[in-house]
Amino acid sequence: MADVPAGRLPKPQMRGLLISHLKRHGAIALVFSMGVTLAYKLAVADPRKRHYEEFYKNYDVKREFEAMKEAGIFNCARPSWEQAAEED
Amino acid sequence: MATPAQLGLMDAASPVMEEMIYFHDHVMLVLILITCLIFYSMLVLISSKYIYRFLTDGHVIETVWTVIPAIILVVVALPSLKLLYLTDELDNPQLTIKSVGHQWYWSYEYTDYYDIEFDSYMLPLGDLSKGDARLLEVDNRVVLPVDTSVRVLVTAADVIHSWTVPSLGLKMDAVPGRLNQLALQCSRVGTFYGQCSEICGANHSFMPIVIEAVPVEVFEGWCDMMLDEESLGSLNMKR
Repeated sequence: MADVPAGRLPKPQMRGLLISHLKRHGAIALVFSMGVTLAYKLAVADPRKRHYEEFYKNYDVKREFEAMKEAGIFNCARPSWEQAAEED
Repeated sequence: MATPAQLGLMDAASPVMEEMIYFHDHVMLVLILITCLIFYSMLVLISSKYIYRFLTDGHVIETVWTVIPAIILVVVALPSLKLLYLTDELDNPQLTIKSVGHQWYWSYEYTDYYDIEFDSYMLPLGDLSKGDARLLEVDNRVVLPVDTSVRVLVTAADVIHSWTVPSLGLKMDAVPGRLNQLALQCSRVGTFYGQCSEICGANHSFMPIVIEAVPVEVFEGWCDMMLDEESLGSLNMKR
Protein backbone atom coordinates (compact mmCIF):
# COMPACT_ATOMS: atom_id res chain seq x y z
CA MET A 1 0.00 0.00 0.00
CA ALA A 2 1.36 3.41 -0.92
CA ASP A 3 2.32 5.69 1.89
CA VAL A 4 -0.18 8.42 2.66
CA PRO A 5 1.12 11.67 1.19
CA ALA A 6 2.12 14.21 3.77
CA GLY A 7 -0.79 16.44 4.72
CA ARG A 8 -3.63 14.02 3.71
CA LEU A 9 -5.82 12.28 6.27
CA PRO A 10 -7.31 8.78 5.73
CA LYS A 11 -10.78 8.91 4.16
CA PRO A 12 -13.43 8.87 6.87
CA GLN A 13 -16.47 6.60 6.81
CA MET A 14 -19.07 8.35 4.64
CA ARG A 15 -22.08 6.03 4.78
CA GLY A 16 -23.73 3.57 7.10
CA LEU A 17 -22.73 5.45 10.25
CA LEU A 18 -25.87 4.57 12.15
CA ILE A 19 -25.72 0.87 11.38
CA SER A 20 -22.05 0.56 12.24
CA HIS A 21 -22.70 2.52 15.45
CA LEU A 22 -25.57 0.19 16.31
CA LYS A 23 -23.59 -2.95 15.55
CA ARG A 24 -20.67 -1.85 17.71
CA HIS A 25 -22.82 -0.84 20.64
CA GLY A 26 -25.08 -3.87 20.22
CA ALA A 27 -22.10 -6.12 20.77
CA ILE A 28 -20.95 -4.00 23.74
CA ALA A 29 -24.48 -4.15 25.22
CA LEU A 30 -24.54 -7.93 24.92
CA VAL A 31 -21.15 -8.34 26.53
CA PHE A 32 -22.01 -5.86 29.31
CA SER A 33 -25.36 -7.46 30.16
CA MET A 34 -23.94 -10.98 30.10
CA GLY A 35 -21.08 -9.83 32.30
CA VAL A 36 -23.45 -8.37 34.89
CA THR A 37 -25.57 -11.53 34.74
CA LEU A 38 -22.52 -13.70 35.28
CA ALA A 39 -21.48 -11.47 38.19
CA TYR A 40 -24.90 -11.94 39.82
CA LYS A 41 -24.67 -15.69 39.32
CA LEU A 42 -21.18 -15.89 40.83
CA ALA A 43 -21.81 -13.41 43.64
CA VAL A 44 -25.38 -14.25 44.66
CA ALA A 45 -26.98 -17.35 43.14
CA ASP A 46 -24.16 -19.89 43.44
CA PRO A 47 -23.03 -18.83 46.96
CA ARG A 48 -26.66 -19.12 48.11
CA LYS A 49 -26.87 -22.72 46.88
CA ARG A 50 -23.52 -23.55 48.50
CA HIS A 51 -24.69 -21.96 51.76
CA TYR A 52 -27.78 -24.18 51.88
CA GLU A 53 -25.73 -27.28 51.04
CA GLU A 54 -23.22 -26.52 53.80
CA PHE A 55 -25.99 -25.78 56.31
CA TYR A 56 -27.64 -29.15 55.82
CA LYS A 57 -24.44 -31.18 55.31
CA ASN A 58 -23.73 -31.48 59.05
CA TYR A 59 -27.13 -30.45 60.37
CA ASP A 60 -27.86 -32.12 63.70
CA VAL A 61 -31.57 -31.99 64.49
CA LYS A 62 -31.20 -32.86 68.16
CA ARG A 63 -28.39 -30.39 68.79
CA GLU A 64 -30.28 -27.55 67.12
CA PHE A 65 -33.49 -28.48 68.91
CA GLU A 66 -31.78 -28.49 72.32
CA ALA A 67 -30.21 -25.11 71.67
CA MET A 68 -33.54 -23.61 70.60
CA LYS A 69 -35.34 -25.25 73.49
CA GLU A 70 -32.93 -23.73 76.01
CA ALA A 71 -33.45 -20.35 74.33
CA GLY A 72 -37.18 -20.67 75.03
CA ILE A 73 -38.28 -20.76 71.39
CA PHE A 74 -40.78 -23.58 71.68
CA ASN A 75 -44.04 -23.73 73.59
CA CYS A 76 -44.27 -27.53 73.42
CA ALA A 77 -40.83 -27.99 75.02
CA ARG A 78 -39.91 -25.47 77.67
CA PRO A 79 -36.26 -24.82 78.69
CA SER A 80 -34.81 -26.82 81.58
CA TRP A 81 -34.13 -23.68 83.65
CA GLU A 82 -37.81 -22.72 83.43
CA GLN A 83 -38.90 -26.17 84.54
CA ALA A 84 -36.41 -26.03 87.41
CA ALA A 85 -37.74 -22.63 88.44
CA GLU A 86 -41.29 -23.96 88.40
CA GLU A 87 -40.31 -26.91 90.57
CA ASP A 88 -38.70 -24.54 93.08
CA MET B 1 -40.35 -14.47 60.29
CA ALA B 2 -39.22 -11.53 58.20
CA THR B 3 -36.76 -9.07 59.74
CA PRO B 4 -37.29 -5.30 59.53
CA ALA B 5 -36.50 -3.81 56.10
CA GLN B 6 -36.07 -7.29 54.65
CA LEU B 7 -36.25 -7.22 50.84
CA GLY B 8 -35.57 -10.80 49.82
CA LEU B 9 -37.38 -14.05 50.47
CA MET B 10 -37.27 -15.65 53.91
CA ASP B 11 -34.76 -18.42 54.55
CA ALA B 12 -36.18 -21.71 53.35
CA ALA B 13 -37.23 -24.33 55.88
CA SER B 14 -38.51 -26.88 53.38
CA PRO B 15 -37.08 -28.42 50.19
CA VAL B 16 -39.83 -26.89 48.07
CA MET B 17 -39.09 -23.38 49.35
CA GLU B 18 -35.41 -23.93 48.62
CA GLU B 19 -36.28 -24.76 45.04
CA MET B 20 -38.46 -21.65 44.85
CA ILE B 21 -35.53 -19.51 46.00
CA TYR B 22 -33.26 -21.07 43.39
CA PHE B 23 -35.93 -20.48 40.74
CA HIS B 24 -36.21 -16.88 41.86
CA ASP B 25 -32.44 -16.51 41.38
CA HIS B 26 -32.76 -18.10 37.93
CA VAL B 27 -35.45 -15.66 36.84
CA MET B 28 -33.44 -12.77 38.30
CA LEU B 29 -30.57 -13.73 36.00
CA VAL B 30 -32.90 -13.40 33.01
CA LEU B 31 -34.31 -10.10 34.28
CA ILE B 32 -30.87 -8.64 34.93
CA LEU B 33 -29.74 -9.65 31.44
CA ILE B 34 -32.75 -7.97 29.82
CA THR B 35 -32.61 -4.88 32.05
CA CYS B 36 -28.90 -4.26 31.43
CA LEU B 37 -29.37 -4.77 27.68
CA ILE B 38 -32.27 -2.32 27.50
CA PHE B 39 -30.66 0.21 29.85
CA TYR B 40 -27.45 0.30 27.82
CA SER B 41 -29.41 0.47 24.55
CA MET B 42 -31.43 3.40 25.83
CA LEU B 43 -28.30 5.29 26.89
CA VAL B 44 -26.65 4.73 23.52
CA LEU B 45 -29.70 5.66 21.46
CA ILE B 46 -30.42 8.81 23.48
CA SER B 47 -26.83 10.03 23.19
CA SER B 48 -26.42 9.12 19.51
CA LYS B 49 -26.59 11.86 16.86
CA TYR B 50 -26.93 9.49 13.87
CA ILE B 51 -30.21 9.39 11.93
CA TYR B 52 -31.18 7.22 8.96
CA ARG B 53 -34.24 8.74 7.37
CA PHE B 54 -35.06 5.84 5.06
CA LEU B 55 -35.25 3.09 7.66
CA THR B 56 -38.49 1.17 7.15
CA ASP B 57 -37.82 -2.46 8.12
CA GLY B 58 -35.06 -4.88 8.99
CA HIS B 59 -35.93 -8.51 8.45
CA VAL B 60 -32.89 -9.94 10.19
CA ILE B 61 -33.22 -7.83 13.34
CA GLU B 62 -36.98 -8.45 13.47
CA THR B 63 -36.37 -12.20 13.32
CA VAL B 64 -33.70 -11.94 16.01
CA TRP B 65 -35.84 -9.95 18.41
CA THR B 66 -38.70 -12.42 17.98
CA VAL B 67 -36.77 -15.64 18.34
CA ILE B 68 -34.57 -14.61 21.27
CA PRO B 69 -37.47 -13.58 23.57
CA ALA B 70 -39.21 -16.85 22.69
CA ILE B 71 -36.09 -18.74 23.76
CA ILE B 72 -35.91 -16.66 26.95
CA LEU B 73 -39.53 -17.53 27.73
CA VAL B 74 -38.82 -21.22 27.29
CA VAL B 75 -35.76 -20.91 29.56
CA VAL B 76 -38.03 -19.43 32.25
CA ALA B 77 -41.05 -21.66 31.65
CA LEU B 78 -39.40 -25.08 31.86
CA PRO B 79 -38.04 -24.76 35.43
CA SER B 80 -41.24 -22.96 36.40
CA LEU B 81 -43.43 -25.87 35.34
CA LYS B 82 -41.09 -28.34 36.99
CA LEU B 83 -41.40 -26.42 40.26
CA LEU B 84 -45.15 -26.12 39.87
CA TYR B 85 -45.57 -29.88 39.69
CA LEU B 86 -43.04 -30.36 42.49
CA THR B 87 -45.20 -28.29 44.85
CA ASP B 88 -48.14 -30.61 44.16
CA GLU B 89 -46.16 -33.78 44.73
CA LEU B 90 -47.23 -35.69 47.82
CA ASP B 91 -45.12 -38.76 48.46
CA ASN B 92 -46.83 -41.10 50.90
CA PRO B 93 -47.44 -38.66 53.76
CA GLN B 94 -46.84 -40.03 57.23
CA LEU B 95 -49.19 -37.59 58.91
CA THR B 96 -52.33 -35.75 57.90
CA ILE B 97 -53.61 -32.68 59.72
CA LYS B 98 -56.60 -30.51 58.99
CA SER B 99 -56.57 -26.75 59.16
CA VAL B 100 -59.94 -25.00 59.30
CA GLY B 101 -60.26 -21.25 58.91
CA HIS B 102 -62.83 -19.40 60.98
CA GLN B 103 -63.59 -15.76 61.58
CA TRP B 104 -61.04 -15.04 63.03
CA TYR B 105 -58.89 -17.96 64.13
CA TRP B 106 -57.61 -21.27 62.85
CA SER B 107 -58.52 -24.67 64.24
CA TYR B 108 -56.44 -27.77 63.76
CA GLU B 109 -57.29 -31.45 63.86
CA TYR B 110 -54.88 -34.34 64.22
CA THR B 111 -57.09 -37.34 63.63
CA ASP B 112 -54.67 -39.89 62.19
CA TYR B 113 -53.61 -41.65 65.35
CA TYR B 114 -55.30 -39.62 68.06
CA ASP B 115 -58.30 -37.38 68.16
CA ILE B 116 -56.68 -34.02 68.85
CA GLU B 117 -58.43 -30.79 67.99
CA PHE B 118 -57.66 -27.28 69.17
CA ASP B 119 -58.22 -23.66 68.27
CA SER B 120 -55.41 -21.23 67.57
CA TYR B 121 -56.14 -17.61 68.42
CA MET B 122 -53.76 -14.70 68.05
CA LEU B 123 -52.25 -13.55 71.34
CA PRO B 124 -53.41 -10.00 72.05
CA LEU B 125 -50.83 -7.31 72.79
CA GLY B 126 -51.35 -7.51 76.52
CA ASP B 127 -50.65 -11.25 76.64
CA LEU B 128 -47.31 -11.13 74.83
CA SER B 129 -44.14 -12.10 76.66
CA LYS B 130 -40.77 -10.41 76.17
CA GLY B 131 -39.38 -11.29 72.74
CA ASP B 132 -42.74 -12.32 71.26
CA ALA B 133 -43.69 -11.00 67.84
CA ARG B 134 -46.65 -8.62 67.72
CA LEU B 135 -49.59 -9.90 65.62
CA LEU B 136 -47.83 -13.21 64.99
CA GLU B 137 -48.00 -15.21 68.22
CA VAL B 138 -50.82 -17.62 68.95
CA ASP B 139 -52.01 -19.41 72.07
CA ASN B 140 -51.82 -22.94 70.63
CA ARG B 141 -49.22 -23.62 67.97
CA VAL B 142 -49.23 -26.31 65.31
CA VAL B 143 -46.60 -28.86 66.31
CA LEU B 144 -45.20 -31.06 63.58
CA PRO B 145 -42.35 -33.58 63.36
CA VAL B 146 -39.29 -32.44 61.40
CA ASP B 147 -38.17 -34.29 58.23
CA THR B 148 -41.62 -35.87 57.93
CA SER B 149 -43.94 -35.71 54.96
CA VAL B 150 -47.18 -34.14 56.17
CA ARG B 151 -50.43 -33.65 54.31
CA VAL B 152 -52.37 -30.53 55.32
CA LEU B 153 -56.03 -30.41 54.37
CA VAL B 154 -57.18 -26.81 54.34
CA THR B 155 -60.75 -25.67 54.50
CA ALA B 156 -62.91 -23.01 56.07
CA ALA B 157 -66.05 -22.86 58.13
CA ASP B 158 -67.44 -19.51 57.03
CA VAL B 159 -65.71 -17.32 54.44
CA ILE B 160 -62.59 -17.85 52.34
CA HIS B 161 -59.31 -17.66 54.24
CA SER B 162 -55.80 -18.63 53.16
CA TRP B 163 -53.33 -20.71 55.13
CA THR B 164 -49.84 -19.37 54.54
CA VAL B 165 -46.36 -20.09 55.86
CA PRO B 166 -43.82 -18.23 53.68
CA SER B 167 -40.65 -19.89 54.99
CA LEU B 168 -42.08 -23.30 54.07
CA GLY B 169 -43.29 -22.04 50.68
CA LEU B 170 -46.92 -22.75 51.55
CA LYS B 171 -50.03 -20.88 50.59
CA MET B 172 -53.44 -22.47 50.09
CA ASP B 173 -56.89 -20.96 50.04
CA ALA B 174 -59.26 -22.22 52.70
CA VAL B 175 -62.59 -22.39 50.90
CA PRO B 176 -65.78 -23.38 52.69
CA GLY B 177 -67.16 -26.62 51.34
CA ARG B 178 -63.85 -27.60 49.73
CA LEU B 179 -60.79 -29.48 50.91
CA ASN B 180 -57.48 -28.25 49.50
CA GLN B 181 -54.41 -30.40 49.96
CA LEU B 182 -50.91 -29.15 50.78
CA ALA B 183 -47.68 -31.10 51.01
CA LEU B 184 -45.49 -29.97 53.88
CA GLN B 185 -42.03 -31.07 54.99
CA CYS B 186 -39.90 -29.13 57.46
CA SER B 187 -36.18 -29.60 56.84
CA ARG B 188 -35.09 -28.01 60.10
CA VAL B 189 -36.38 -27.46 63.62
CA GLY B 190 -37.75 -24.08 64.61
CA THR B 191 -40.84 -21.93 64.66
CA PHE B 192 -42.34 -20.72 61.41
CA TYR B 193 -44.89 -17.96 61.14
CA GLY B 194 -47.57 -17.03 58.67
CA GLN B 195 -50.68 -14.92 58.37
CA CYS B 196 -54.09 -15.33 56.81
CA SER B 197 -53.76 -14.33 53.17
CA GLU B 198 -57.32 -13.89 51.98
CA ILE B 199 -59.46 -10.98 53.12
CA CYS B 200 -62.00 -12.39 55.49
CA GLY B 201 -63.41 -9.57 57.54
CA ALA B 202 -62.50 -7.15 60.27
CA ASN B 203 -59.83 -9.28 61.92
CA HIS B 204 -58.28 -10.74 58.80
CA SER B 205 -54.87 -9.38 59.87
CA PHE B 206 -55.17 -10.93 63.31
CA MET B 207 -55.36 -14.65 62.69
CA PRO B 208 -51.78 -15.84 62.32
CA ILE B 209 -50.35 -19.32 61.91
CA VAL B 210 -47.40 -20.66 63.91
CA ILE B 211 -45.75 -24.00 63.26
CA GLU B 212 -43.28 -25.62 65.64
CA ALA B 213 -41.11 -28.20 63.90
CA VAL B 214 -39.64 -30.56 66.50
CA PRO B 215 -38.03 -34.01 66.58
CA VAL B 216 -40.41 -36.95 66.31
CA GLU B 217 -40.02 -37.95 69.97
CA VAL B 218 -40.92 -34.46 71.10
CA PHE B 219 -43.91 -34.47 68.76
CA GLU B 220 -45.11 -37.75 70.28
CA GLY B 221 -44.66 -36.30 73.76
CA TRP B 222 -46.69 -33.28 72.72
CA CYS B 223 -49.46 -35.54 71.40
CA ASP B 224 -49.54 -37.38 74.73
CA MET B 225 -49.68 -34.06 76.54
CA MET B 226 -52.55 -32.88 74.37
CA LEU B 227 -54.48 -36.05 75.18
CA ASP B 228 -53.87 -35.63 78.88
CA GLU B 229 -57.19 -35.05 80.63
CA GLU B 230 -55.75 -32.37 82.90
CA SER B 231 -54.69 -30.10 80.05
CA LEU B 232 -57.94 -30.31 78.14
CA GLY B 233 -59.56 -27.52 80.03
CA SER B 234 -56.62 -25.12 79.79
CA LEU B 235 -56.26 -25.61 76.05
CA ASN B 236 -59.95 -25.25 75.28
CA MET B 237 -59.76 -28.50 73.37
CA LYS B 238 -62.44 -30.69 71.99
CA ARG B 239 -62.23 -34.46 71.84
